[in-house]
Amino acid sequence: MDDLLYIGKSIPRKDGPIKATGRAQYTVDISLPGMLVGKVLRSPYPHARILHIDTSLAEKLPGVKAVVTAADSLQIKHGFVETPRYPADQYPMAVDTVRHVGEDIAGVAAVDEDTAEEALNLIRVEYEPLPAVFDPEEAMKPEAPEIHPNHPKVKDTYRNIGGKTETGWGDLEKALKESYLIREDKYYCQMRTHGYLEPQATVAHFDFSGKLNVWTSGMGVFLKRAKLAKTLGLPYSNVRVLKTYVGGAFGGKIDLFHHEYISALLSMKSHQPVKIVYSREEVFKASRHAQPLIVQIKTGVAKDGTILGQEIRTINDSGAYHGSGVVVIFLAWGFAMAPYRIPAMKYAGYSVYTNNLVRAPQRGHGAPKMRFAIESQFDMIAETLGIDPLEFRLRNAREPGELLPNGDSVKNFGLRDCLLKSAERTAFRDKYQAARTGRECDNKIKRGIGIGTTSYFGGSLIYPNSSTVIVRLNDDGSASLVTGALDIGQGCETVLSQIVAEELGIPIEEVQIYAADTETTPVDIGSWISGLTYVTGNAAKKAASQAMKKLLLVAAEELQADVKDLRTHRKEIFVTQAPNRRITYAQAIAASIAKNKGDSIIGEGHFRTMKDEPTHPSLATAKGRWSENYSNYATVAEVEVDTETGMIKILKATTAHDCGFPLNPNLVEGQIDGQVSMGQGHILSEELRVEEGCVINPSFLEYKMPSAMEMVETDYVDVITEKYEKDRHYNTKEVGEGYVSGTVAAVANAVYNATGLRLTRTPFSPDRVLEGLEQMGKKEKEEHG
Amino acid sequence: MKKKSKQLITLFVNGNEYEMALRPNRTLLEVLREDLRLTGTKEGCDDGVCGSCTVLMNGVPIRSCLCLAVEAQGKAITTIEGLAEGHRLHPVQQAFVDQGAIQCGYCSPGMILTAKALLDRNPQPTEGEIKESISGNFCRCTGYNKIVTAIQTAGRIVGGEK
Repeated sequence: MDDLLYIGKSIPRKDGPIKATGRAQYTVDISLPGMLVGKVLRSPYPHARILHIDTSLAEKLPGVKAVVTAADSLQIKHGFVETPRYPADQYPMAVDTVRHVGEDIAGVAAVDEDTAEEALNLIRVEYEPLPAVFDPEEAMKPEAPEIHPNHPKVKDTYRNIGGKTETGWGDLEKALKESYLIREDKYYCQMRTHGYLEPQATVAHFDFSGKLNVWTSGMGVFLKRAKLAKTLGLPYSNVRVLKTYVGGAFGGKIDLFHHEYISALLSMKSHQPVKIVYSREEVFKASRHAQPLIVQIKTGVAKDGTILGQEIRTINDSGAYHGSGVVVIFLAWGFAMAPYRIPAMKYAGYSVYTNNLVRAPQRGHGAPKMRFAIESQFDMIAETLGIDPLEFRLRNAREPGELLPNGDSVKNFGLRDCLLKSAERTAFRDKYQAARTGRECDNKIKRGIGIGTTSYFGGSLIYPNSSTVIVRLNDDGSASLVTGALDIGQGCETVLSQIVAEELGIPIEEVQIYAADTETTPVDIGSWISGLTYVTGNAAKKAASQAMKKLLLVAAEELQADVKDLRTHRKEIFVTQAPNRRITYAQAIAASIAKNKGDSIIGEGHFRTMKDEPTHPSLATAKGRWSENYSNYATVAEVEVDTETGMIKILKATTAHDCGFPLNPNLVEGQIDGQVSMGQGHILSEELRVEEGCVINPSFLEYKMPSAMEMVETDYVDVITEKYEKDRHYNTKEVGEGYVSGTVAAVANAVYNATGLRLTRTPFSPDRVLEGLEQMGKKEKEEHG
Repeated sequence: MKKKSKQLITLFVNGNEYEMALRPNRTLLEVLREDLRLTGTKEGCDDGVCGSCTVLMNGVPIRSCLCLAVEAQGKAITTIEGLAEGHRLHPVQQAFVDQGAIQCGYCSPGMILTAKALLDRNPQPTEGEIKESISGNFCRCTGYNKIVTAIQTAGRIVGGEK
């Protein structure tokens, strides 16, 4: 790729200077004339019937401009998933029942924050508390209170089943019968949160033309528009969602959030702009957090370590509504089956209603939990068989070109190389053996090394399913890139600009981007589902190359040459054999306008994945294509465990990653570093503590995210499995999500390598480590004493 | 709710003098963002934990969410908007851009000001000193690695200029 000007180069991000100078406008920074402050009244009960709401006192308070409850709304439900199997199930404001603490009851808009706060205190709500349940396994019991009736198609005898994914292949019974070793384990993953620094925030302005203008801290404007239009009963054309800079999201800002709906409704009632910004406490206590998951795995292997069969059961505590619970039980299957060959499988995933907060995806959406569980068990199996962990994985890793049970091909699968290269880079085998013998020494600080892997899908079909990009050439040959993509920090504006500059052969400084406005930019898949670089990137490539083709056609006519004989350099087009016959981009564009009915040269590109598939795979059976490209990661973590304090320190995380090819290596490294840090928080320190459905550690003081003091040294190895060629569709894979899992799994295995302690519940907090070590010591004494 | 009477105070922000009538319970963060529209200073937690609201007071990083505006009377306040000279970015800002130390950018203003204060008093800090100085500024995107590199890079430039 040496002849490329911009692709594969660490181009500094386009929005760097505007962010570094504090000029980037985030939703929280927006201020409009006459803007009101909006606030939300929330349920203090985890489960209750609403008997009566009286807002009359609040409405009379001077300075209050609007008060809204479900009575003011159309009472149209929405859901993270809205399919025939899983229809919308959640009102934007509670109608007659609340099912979790913090559920939205009413909204007020007032001239200032104090008045809005006072108005909330004047709203009287009468509740009739109902029995509640908070643990998913308790909620499944026949005597548990019913939060919603069971899903009509799920025939289990359990209660509160909101959804189920059931799939399998091969003859599991036979596989287990033939197994040399069968191991069964159960793992628990905690509830974490995204930790985005910009809180949930919206500004809504319903103007006198009947149009709702919305600025919101989200992850893509088109899904927000669809959900707002539906729940407010407005035509799509009358809802405009506009770009703002986004202060972090990590999965936690995808869906419709109720402050978006309530601020819109308040603005429609008051005809003034309304801004709602959650306090940090509100984000912790009332917003959506990530998915906790219980994973049970039974694995049968042959004596040589070949996996013969696996039975997996997952239980998801989805909270009071579906949220993304019915998706995570589907995804969990995918994260189990993708990296390694499993000839026989029986999988069942349950999404269970509880009276907890509703869940959202968080970076990896189930993968960190699944890979933690599976890779922990892999190491235990390998140890029993006397095979080293690397060898065990190499024996079972999928090879390029294999077909997955759902029909996807892992055509360009680099897992094997990731394993080999990360191990080689870290001297894994030597250090692994050294740590096992080092366990016995008296030193209180034990060192260990561990490996974890993932493979991750990208760009799957989910609304709006595709991206369109428009590339407009200006008179001087510079370009305007028009895209619906929303840069949430990952750097997509930079990468899309690189692609357009590359295809057009113009300086990247001459590509200006107009992004993420539902009224003026074309549809975009969104900054989730790990597909933007692949889906929108290919749309941008098509748009730019279409513009380029038009330009070359005009040039060919002007130069009286064949298009295939033309070359470009520095915004000039010349005939290869006669370089003096040349024309500038500007001249060619002028010629096009003069001769082609005023065509100033605009290119248009569309892209979607799996063009032969009508829709996404079945969430119920996991049948159907899921992804065209699977990324791969192998992570090696080196840790130190202080056996006196229980503190774990991650010394280094080395990743070999197969993201196809890096379009911008610096941005790829940034994604990996961020995921190491998020994985570090997951495995060591982060846990939302909940009592009776209420988050009891609702601040960054008590919810411990990694600080710079705990920074992990990172190292990267590229495994290149694809390439970029001009004027052709390219394959690339995600690099923004899967790696969290590798870190979590690698650290868990490194802790075992260091100490012999196998923990099955995350996070590995010092108290759990110490308790584990103590129990281990007791057991050893019993065995030897 | 009874509102406290306003006080007349003078703030010096980014070299400009502002005479303002403010209620004494208002934080410096609120006044910078709402009254002066200097929205580069961000609110992340309002608990004094995350560091997004960091500004410099007489050259020292402080959390503007924990400081009342009346306490800033007579002190020189620098916000992120006051760092670049015209179009020329401060070396710390430039290094953050060049090294990929910015992703979502929400922590960047506070992080950059904290780093500037560190380099002003110690242009060649060790990695440990850098980590310690930014340990009160959360970043959820970058894992801090490229931020530390950027501060080291800027240190070489700031140090070389002196």
